[in-house]
Amino acid sequence: MHKLRPIAVLLLFLIVACTTEKDELFISAAPQDTGITFKNTISETDDLNILDYIYFYNGGGVALGDINNDGLPDIFFSGNQVSNRLYINKGNLIFEDISDKANIGGNSSWNTGAVMGDVNGDGLLDIYVCAVVGLHGFNGHNELYINNGDETFTESAAAYHLDHDSYSSSAAFLDYDLDGDLDMYLLNHAVHTDDSYKGVALRQQRHYKTGDKLLRNDGGRFTDVSEIAGIIGSISGYGLGVAVADYNQDGYPDIYVSNDFYEDDYYYLNNGDGTFSEKLRDYFGHASRFSMGNDAADINNDGWPDIMSLDMLPEDEVVLKSSQGDDNVQTQNMRKLMFGYHYQFTRNMLHINQQNANYLETGLLSGVAATDWSWSCLFADYDQDGQQDLFITNGILKRPNDLDFTNFYSNDKIQSNKNNPKLMNQKALDSMPSGMVSNFMFQGQDNLAFKDMSGQWIPDDKLVSGATALGDLDNDGDLDIVVSNLNDTPSLYINQTNEKASYLKLKFDYTSPNKVGIGTKVFAYNNGKLQYKELYTARGFQAASEPMIHFGFDTIQRIDSLKVIWPDKTSQTLTNVALNKTLSIKPDNPKPFDYASLLKGPKPLFKKSEYNLGIDFRHIEDKYLDFNRQKLIPYRISDRGPAVAIGDLNDDGKDDIYFGGSKGYAAKTYFQTDTAYVERRIAALANDSIKEDVEAIIADFNNDKKKDMVIGSGGGDYANQTKPLLDAYYVQNNGAFNHKAFPEFYENASVMIANDIDQDGDLDLFIGSNAVSYDFGNIPNSFILRNDDGVFSIVPNEALQHAGMITDAIWHDFDGDGQDDLIVVGEWMAPKFFKNNKGTFEEQQVMDSRLNGLWRQITPFDIDQDGDTDYLLGNWGTNSKFKASEDGPMRMYYDDFDNNGRTETIVCTERNGDYYPLLGLDDLASQMVKLHKIFTSYKAFAGQPIEKILGKNLLQKATFLEVDELRSGYLKNDNGRFTFVPFRNELQVAPITTFLNYDFDGDGQDDVLAAGNYFGVTPFHGRFDAFPGALIKSKNTMILGNKIGLDFSNKAIKSLNIIHLNQKPYLLTTINNDKAQVYELLK
Amino acid sequence: MIMKLKNVSLLLIAVVLIAMSCKDNSETIEITPEAFHASVDKTVEVMVHDIFSPPVASRVFVYPNIAAYEIIAQNDSTFHSLQGQISHLKAIPKADEAKNINYPLAALIAHIDLSKRLIFSEQRIETFRDSLYQIWEATNTAQFEASKAYGIQVADFIGDWMDKDNYNQTRTMSKFSIDPENEERWQPTPPAYMDGLEPHWGKIRPFVIDSSAQFKPLPPPVFSMNENSSFYKELKEVYDISNQITKEGDASEEVLIAQFWDCNPYVSVTRGHLMFAAKKITPGAHWIGITKIACKTEDADFNRTVFAYTKASIAIADAFISCWDEKYRSNLVRPETLINKYMDHEWKPILQTPPFPEYTSGHSVVSGAAATVLTNIFGDNFGFLDDTEVPYGLPIRSFSSFNAAAQEAAISRMYGGIHYRAAVEVGIGQGKNVGNLVNGRLRMVK
Repeated sequence: MHKLRPIAVLLLFLIVACTTEKDELFISAAPQDTGITFKNTISETDDLNILDYIYFYNGGGVALGDINNDGLPDIFFSGNQVSNRLYINKGNLIFEDISDKANIGGNSSWNTGAVMGDVNGDGLLDIYVCAVVGLHGFNGHNELYINNGDETFTESAAAYHLDHDSYSSSAAFLDYDLDGDLDMYLLNHAVHTDDSYKGVALRQQRHYKTGDKLLRNDGGRFTDVSEIAGIIGSISGYGLGVAVADYNQDGYPDIYVSNDFYEDDYYYLNNGDGTFSEKLRDYFGHASRFSMGNDAADINNDGWPDIMSLDMLPEDEVVLKSSQGDDNVQTQNMRKLMFGYHYQFTRNMLHINQQNANYLETGLLSGVAATDWSWSCLFADYDQDGQQDLFITNGILKRPNDLDFTNFYSNDKIQSNKNNPKLMNQKALDSMPSGMVSNFMFQGQDNLAFKDMSGQWIPDDKLVSGATALGDLDNDGDLDIVVSNLNDTPSLYINQTNEKASYLKLKFDYTSPNKVGIGTKVFAYNNGKLQYKELYTARGFQAASEPMIHFGFDTIQRIDSLKVIWPDKTSQTLTNVALNKTLSIKPDNPKPFDYASLLKGPKPLFKKSEYNLGIDFRHIEDKYLDFNRQKLIPYRISDRGPAVAIGDLNDDGKDDIYFGGSKGYAAKTYFQTDTAYVERRIAALANDSIKEDVEAIIADFNNDKKKDMVIGSGGGDYANQTKPLLDAYYVQNNGAFNHKAFPEFYENASVMIANDIDQDGDLDLFIGSNAVSYDFGNIPNSFILRNDDGVFSIVPNEALQHAGMITDAIWHDFDGDGQDDLIVVGEWMAPKFFKNNKGTFEEQQVMDSRLNGLWRQITPFDIDQDGDTDYLLGNWGTNSKFKASEDGPMRMYYDDFDNNGRTETIVCTERNGDYYPLLGLDDLASQMVKLHKIFTSYKAFAGQPIEKILGKNLLQKATFLEVDELRSGYLKNDNGRFTFVPFRNELQVAPITTFLNYDFDGDGQDDVLAAGNYFGVTPFHGRFDAFPGALIKSKNTMILGNKIGLDFSNKAIKSLNIIHLNQKPYLLTTINNDKAQVYELLK
Repeated sequence: MIMKLKNVSLLLIAVVLIAMSCKDNSETIEITPEAFHASVDKTVEVMVHDIFSPPVASRVFVYPNIAAYEIIAQNDSTFHSLQGQISHLKAIPKADEAKNINYPLAALIAHIDLSKRLIFSEQRIETFRDSLYQIWEATNTAQFEASKAYGIQVADFIGDWMDKDNYNQTRTMSKFSIDPENEERWQPTPPAYMDGLEPHWGKIRPFVIDSSAQFKPLPPPVFSMNENSSFYKELKEVYDISNQITKEGDASEEVLIAQFWDCNPYVSVTRGHLMFAAKKITPGAHWIGITKIACKTEDADFNRTVFAYTKASIAIADAFISCWDEKYRSNLVRPETLINKYMDHEWKPILQTPPFPEYTSGHSVVSGAAATVLTNIFGDNFGFLDDTEVPYGLPIRSFSSFNAAAQEAAISRMYGGIHYRAAVEVGIGQGKNVGNLVNGRLRMVK
C-alpha cells in the first residue's frame, strides 16, 4: 500500500504533466508520501529574534549520504532549535525516521550547518553539526556523530577535538595537505557590532568565537593550524559560504570563503607547504558584498572551476525599489581608501576562472545576478544536456532592509515604546514586510548564458528556503534536490529527466582514510567536448551533497574517455565508457599526473616591457566627480582621457609621444632617442595644464614639413563659454610650438581625426563631442574643420553638427568611390555614415536596423574575410544593469523636470511593456524634491513605471534618447548594406573602448586588438573591470588577452598604439588614471 | 498645564456643541493661542516623520509663521508688518474690509496651508486641518469662508515669495565632494557615512542678515596633529571629556546634558541587516518648543504668540544660513574621524556625529540666536521648565533664562563628542550676532 502510493502520485503527475504545457523538470514529493515530516520551526521570543541575532532566519542544515551503505542516500536535517532528524532512504522515495534510535538529536541550543564525512576512515559516513554557542544564552558545541555501522551514532566531537563552541555556520572536509586524511575548514561568523566596521586592520586580530579555522587531522585529532596556515580568523569575518576546489589546478585544494557585510571574501590559494595565501585582490576585480552561500563548478567546459557567490539583490521591481541599495560612489571610495576594503557590490557574482589570471565576473551578463535574498547555489546538470544548470534558494521571513521600515517605522512606534523594548521588538517585527519568495532555477546554456526556468522546472513555492543538498534519492540516475525550509517541511524536488537523457554517476573507492575520495577530479571527454568535476561535498550553504560525481551527456550512449585524477596527484583513464550507470572507481595502476600539462595555452604574443622604454607616464584623473554635480546621469563624462598622439615632434625622423593631462595636470611629451624615450617639456603645453586633454593629433597642418599639433579639450567639468573648453592648435616653428588661431567652440572633445577631405593637399579635421557639461542628454556640437593653408574654419553641416553624443569616428571610403567618407559612432545613437562628395558630407542609410547603442569605438576590418570591409563596433557590453533590445529599447528621458532651470536625465529600462527608472526614490528625489510629496512611502513608489512617477504630461513634454543594442560586434558588409553581428559573450563583459589594427601574430594579415573596461559608473552598476582584451583574427577566432600575455583586466584602457624604438615595434597601452604600459611583441 | 489643556478640550467640545445647536450660525469663531500651538506641533510631528534636516526644518517653520504674522499685523495696530523690514518681502494683499474676516482664523489657516506645502506627508496635515475646518464651518460658515479665502490668498502670496529663496535651485547644486586623502577636510562619519548635508544652504536667501557671510566667524584653529597646537589640544579635550564622563556613567550631568540637547532628526541604528532611524526633533524645533513654553508661561494672547514664533523662527532660519555658510567654507573634519584614526579606533562619541562639517556648531549658533531674540521678547531671567523633549523619552530640565539654556545647548555638543570648543564658543557668539541684528532691525512691536 505504502509502496504503491508514490508511484500513483508519480503517475498522476505524469498525466498532469502531459495535459499541461508546463515543462516541469522537478516535481515535489509530499511529506505524507515520503515520511519526511521534519520541520525546522524557530520560535521568536522577546529575547531572541532577528533584532537580537542577525542570523536568526538563516535556517538549519541538510546533508545527504548513504550512512548504512545500502546504495541509497539518506538525509540528515539539523534544526536550529528543534531536534536534528535522520531519515533512512528505504527506496521508492519512502523514508524512515530513525532519529530516536540514532542518537543524533543534538544537545546544542542553536544548530546551523550539517555535513557528512568519513572522519575516522572506517568506510562509514559520520555527521558533523555546527552550532552557535555563547550568544544569547546558546550553549553546547559543534557535534560529531560517529557512525557505529548499525544506524546508531556516538557523539564524539570532544575526542576528535572538534567540539568547538563558537559561532559556526558550516564546515567543509578537505585534505589540504594531501596526507590522505580529511581535514576541516570550519566556517564561523561574526555578529554585528558597530565597532567591527573599522577597516581591514581588524583582520589581524584573531578571535576564537568568530574567526574561521583550519583544522588539521593529526591521526584522529583535529589541530587548529589557522595561524600558521595563514587563515584569517578575526572578529570581522562573516563566513556564510565556503567552496573548496583546486582553483589554480596545481593539485592542492584551494578555498573561497564568502563573507557577509563589509568584510571582503577570501580567496585562499594553497601554497602546497601547509600554508595558504589570501589573494582575493590579485584575482578578483570585485566581489559580492553581502556574500552568502557559494559554489564552485566548471560551467564553461574548460576544465577549470568557476565560482558563484550569492548576495541579496532583488529581481522583483517592487522589492528592489523598497529595499536598501548599493553605497553611493563617495561612500564606496571611502570604504576603499580609508578602510581598505575591496570593491564589493550587492548582487550575485559569477566568476569565470581564467587560469591563473583575473576572473571574468559575468553575473549580470549571464542573467544570474539578481535572485533576491539568496542562500544556496548549486551547479549541476539537472536536465543532463551536458551543460551545468543552477539552482538557487532564497527567502527571508521578514525583510529588515525595507526602506519604509528603516525610515518611518521608528517615529511611530519605537519612540513611544522606548521604555518597553520588548513591545518595540514585536511591533518592529510586525512592520517588516515578508520575504517569502520563489526559488530560482536556471538552465545552463552555451556562451556563459543562463536561462531562467523558475516556476517551470521547479514548483513555484513561496518559502524561506535555505540549505540545499543534491543526491539521487530514487536511484534513477538524475539528481534530486532536498531543501531545508524555515518553519516548514523540507522540499524534495524529484527530477523527472529519467530516461530522457544520459547520465553517468561516479563513486570512488579511494584509499583509507579518505575512502569516498574527497578531492578526486574527473575530466570527461566526448567528441572534443570536455566536462570537468571535482568531488567536494560541502557546497552551497550549510549543507553537504551526496558524495558522488554526476554527469549528463544529452542522448549519447557512450563517451570517449574519463580521466580520473586522484587526490595524490596520480591518474588513470577509462576509455569508451558506457553511460546510464553508476561506476565505482578505485585506483587501478594510476600514473603520476603532470599538472603542468593543464597549463598549456596559446603562445604568448605580448610581454610587458621591463623598462617600459623609458616611458614613465602615469595619467592621474583629477578629482572632479560628475555624479556630485549631475546626480542622475548614468555615467561620467569626465574620465574619458587622456589624449595620446604619436609623431615626430623634433624633426629627427623618429616618432615621439604626446600624453595629455587631466585638469590641472600638464601634458607630457616623450622623445625617442636611440635607446629609450626621454621626457622633455614643451613650454606651450605646460602653460595649458588647466585644460583636460582628451584627444590629440600630431601632423603637418600648414605644409611646412614640420609636425604641428591640435589638442582637443574636454572633461565635462568646465561648462558654458569657459576658455579651457577650447581646443588648441600649435604650430611648430624653430623647434618651438606656438598657439595659432583655431575656431572657437566650447564643446567637450571626444574624437579628433584628420583627412584631406577636399583633396586639396592639406589635412582637414573632424572634431566630435560626446556631451554638454552640466547638461547631459543635450546633444553637443561636432564639426568638420576645413584647412586652408594652415588656417581652419568650420564647414557648416547641420546634420553632422547635431549627429549625437559622438565618441569615435573614422574616415573610410565605405561606398568605394575613391573619397574617404566619415563614419561616426556615439552613445545613445546609431552609427552614422556620412558620404563625402568633394568635401561636403551627406548622411546615407546603409544599415538594415536602427541600431542605437552606447557605442564607444569603431574600426574597419574584414572580419569575415570575404574581401570587403566590415566595421567593428565597441559598445558597453551586457554586463551591467542597463538593458536594451530592439523590442524594448532603453530610454533616457531628458528635461528640466522640476522647472528650476537645470535639466535632469532619467534612464529607464523596459519590463513587460512598461518603463521603470533604474534609480530609486531617494536618488530621484535628491534632484526632484516634490517626489517626496507624491510618494510619502517607498511602498507607494516601488513598482511604479516612470509614467506614474512623473505623470504622463511631464513625460510627454520630455525628450528621450534610446538604445537598442548594448553588445559589441561588427557591421557585416553585404554589398554596401550593413547588418549587425554581436561578438560572443566573453567580449561583452565590459565596454570595448579601443581597437588597434595591426598584424600582431606575424601571419601577414592584420588583426584587431580590442581593449576596454570602464569605471565611470556608480556602485549600482559596479565596475566594468573584467575584460582582458581580445585579439580578433576573424569572426570565429578571438583570443582573450590574458591567454597571450596581456594584462588588461582592472584597467580602463583609453588607447592602443604601435610605437617604435630602433625600428622595432612595440604596443603602447594608455590607461585612464593609471601608468602607461609598453608591451614587446613576441611574434 | 495639564489643567489648561483639559480646559481647552472642554472648551472645544463646548464650541462644537454650541455650533451644532446653533441655528443662526453667526457666532464669532474663537481662535485661541492653543490652536496656533497645535498647528506648530502638528508640523513638527510631520517633520519628524518625514525626516527633515535641521536647516530645511528651519525653513518649514519660518514661512508659515511670517504668513500668519503678516495677517494679524493687518488688523492689530500694536504690530508692524515686516514688509520692507525684510527687504524682499512685499506687502501682502489687503483684506476686503467689507467681508467678515476673522484675522486670527485667517492667520491660522495660512499657517496650516503653508506648513502643508512645506512638508512631505500632506495627508497628516490635511486630516488635522479638515477636523478644524468642520468645526469652524459649523460655527460660522460665512466668517469661515471669508477668512479661509483670505488666509489662502496670503499663503499663496507668501508661497510665491518663498519659492524665490533659491531652495529649488540648491536642490540641483553639486553634492559635497569627499576627498579621503585630505585629513583636514570633513569626512562622512560612522555608522551610516551619509553625504554632507545641504552643502549649499549658505546660498539660501536670508531674511534679516545682509548675506550669509555677514557674521563670518574667525577661522577655526589651524589644523595640526602636533601635540602642542591648539587644534590638537581641542581635539584631545573632546576625547578626554568624553572618556571622563563616560566613566562617570549615564547618570552624570554632562551625559544628561548631551542627550537632552541631541536634537538629531536621524540617528541611524544598525543591527545586522536591520537599520532604523531613531528620530528626534531638530535644534530649531527645540527652540520653537521653548518659544511655546514661554508664550504659555506668559499667557500670551494669539497675536503675541504668533509674533513670538515669527521673530524666533526668523532668527533661527538666518542662524542656519549663517552657520551653514561657515560649515562649508571651513569644511572641518569631525573629532570622531581623527580620534578613530589617531587615538582610539574603538571610540564612539556619546551622540552620533551628524553628517556635515564641524565648524561652527549649528546648535550653538541657533541657540545663541534664538535665546537672544526670546530674551528680547520675554525678558532676561525668564525661568522655565523645558519639557520639549519629553515625547522623545528625555526628562524635563529647568533653566533660569534663555541664555542659560543656550549656553548649556552649546556646551552639550562638546560633551556629546561631536564638536571642538572653538565651534561651540565661536558659534554661540555668531548666533548672538544674528539675534542682535534681528532685534535691532525688525521693529515688530509698536
